[in-house]
Amino acid sequence: MGYLGKLFFMAMTAVFINNYVLSRFLGLCPYLGVSKKLDSAFGMGMAVIFVMTMASAFTYLIHTYLLIPYGLQYLQTIAFILTIAALVQFVEMVIQKNAPSLYKALGVYLPLITTNCAVLGVAILNTKATWPDGSAYNFLDAVLNGFLSGIGFTLVLLLMAGIRERLEYADLPRSMKGMPIGLILAGIMALAFYGFMGFKI
Amino acid sequence: MTFMQELTKGLVKENPIFVIVLGICPTLAVTTSVNNAIGMGLAATFVLICSNTIISLIKNITPPKIRIPVYIVVIASFVSIVDMAMAAYVPALHKSLGIFIPLIVVNCIILGRAEAFASKNNTLTSIADGIGMGLGFTLSLVIVATIRELLGSGTWLGIKIMPVTYDPMLVAILAPGAFITLGFLMAGMQMLKNRRGK
Amino acid sequence: MKYILQLGLILLIFCAVASGVLAFVNSKTQPVISARKLLEEEQTRKALLPAATAFEMNKAAADSNFVYYAAKDSTGKVIGYAFIAEKGGYNSVVKSMVALDPEYKIISMKVIDQNETPGLGSNCTRDDFAPQFAKLGFEDLLVDKDGGPVKSLTGATITTRAITNSIREAMILLMNDIKEKQNQGGGK
Repeated sequence: MGYLGKLFFMAMTAVFINNYVLSRFLGLCPYLGVSKKLDSAFGMGMAVIFVMTMASAFTYLIHTYLLIPYGLQYLQTIAFILTIAALVQFVEMVIQKNAPSLYKALGVYLPLITTNCAVLGVAILNTKATWPDGSAYNFLDAVLNGFLSGIGFTLVLLLMAGIRERLEYADLPRSMKGMPIGLILAGIMALAFYGFMGFKI
Repeated sequence: MTFMQELTKGLVKENPIFVIVLGICPTLAVTTSVNNAIGMGLAATFVLICSNTIISLIKNITPPKIRIPVYIVVIASFVSIVDMAMAAYVPALHKSLGIFIPLIVVNCIILGRAEAFASKNNTLTSIADGIGMGLGFTLSLVIVATIRELLGSGTWLGIKIMPVTYDPMLVAILAPGAFITLGFLMAGMQMLKNRRGK
Repeated sequence: MKYILQLGLILLIFCAVASGVLAFVNSKTQPVISARKLLEEEQTRKALLPAATAFEMNKAAADSNFVYYAAKDSTGKVIGYAFIAEKGGYNSVVKSMVALDPEYKIISMKVIDQNETPGLGSNCTRDDFAPQFAKLGFEDLLVDKDGGPVKSLTGATITTRAITNSIREAMILLMNDIKEKQNQGGGK
């Protein structure tokens, strides 16, 4: 496939077929916690896309030029998570200075991006990923994958938030309110997204 | 709280998954079989106990400003140890759990307990807290996995339980089934809590 | 400024200690992991070609990453070949170990590594999938959707195609390499 074809394939896979939230089960804590209102969901989504993209870039470089040449793969977990923590700290400082209202809206969820499984997940998956012909991801592939996976995450986050905003007005049994109905909602969405699995690209 | 109370609070009252609602990602991902659930639960418990112990021991020499990165280094180290040990000694389980083993490091339960408890309490109670929370986590994983494995494969721990005529509900071990199962379980917990509150 | 440097130094010390511990654990577990992998491959080879007493390793001249084994019996005669074929499937790289007879027809195969969709692609490890590969030559290795005799798994054409194509390509590499080596041997 030409490069554009590869890009399309990656986008389809990251956003729909192997969506990070609904298919890979990554990034669920913020998904269930923040997705109640559309605007905070949007802000969170943007922050996550940025962190996932940058994290993919830095962790790929560390993996390729530091860990592999020196045979230090066993330090991957530590190296990656520290990189991500530093990145989130940096993003937090930038947002605090330049968009204080967004900073207040995101509140405690911003530092929590560090523990967002989706970020560490995409970093690790980039090192394991292969194209259908068996070749590994190069730097550009890794960064794009991070970006597109973030978009997939944000897409689902926004869909959830939209539905949950409406759910506030629904007459639910008391025990279903909040987390339970959120999960069942995610399940139905996962079912819908499962339809994408049949796609032959 | 006494040692025993610390130990048992993680089972029901402060159950990490159903009450505090942490560690949802692995809960949905590894509960396709009871075997995987037990494996993940024990791995996470090991990391939790070890990190709680170390963090409690070094709490007085850790400068508060860098405590989160330090906790992360401690937790990540134990996760890496567990990862290597599992790859060497239980390779089949290591392959099934896959990426979720290194993801134990971002399991909110472990960092959460480090920050909320181990950094403020003595070592013995921190160990008890680790054991209790870890067992509660494992138990909850097993409950979810039991439902999903019985419905989705007709087996429990690999042993065929459901009658031969039962056509497995494949969706139970796939992504949608995970969400829906957990959703109903949480609703059930919520119902119990409401009843008790009355 | 000095305070930040101090903090950074303390963090660095923690990291150094952690790295040291991990390096130690790694040195203990790495040999176990590698040894087990080699043992498993050897056992699978023996299971697919039980009559062989020795396996001779060969590296393909065209692709040094491709390794195949010539199975010899106690008289030194070549009774077959064994190799691992791999290709990216739907979710993961699917690895299959294949045994060939001396006429380059498949004796048997076994999927040894995969992480495909449970219930769909992962069915390639079931007992009813492998037997259809028996007696096929490289020219027969096409999935039904590509016009060949290999029946695709339900809802897992991509997985089946990956396995089939990987075996065919590996077989072609193997046959060409043997021919090369025979030509070189004959020319001497």
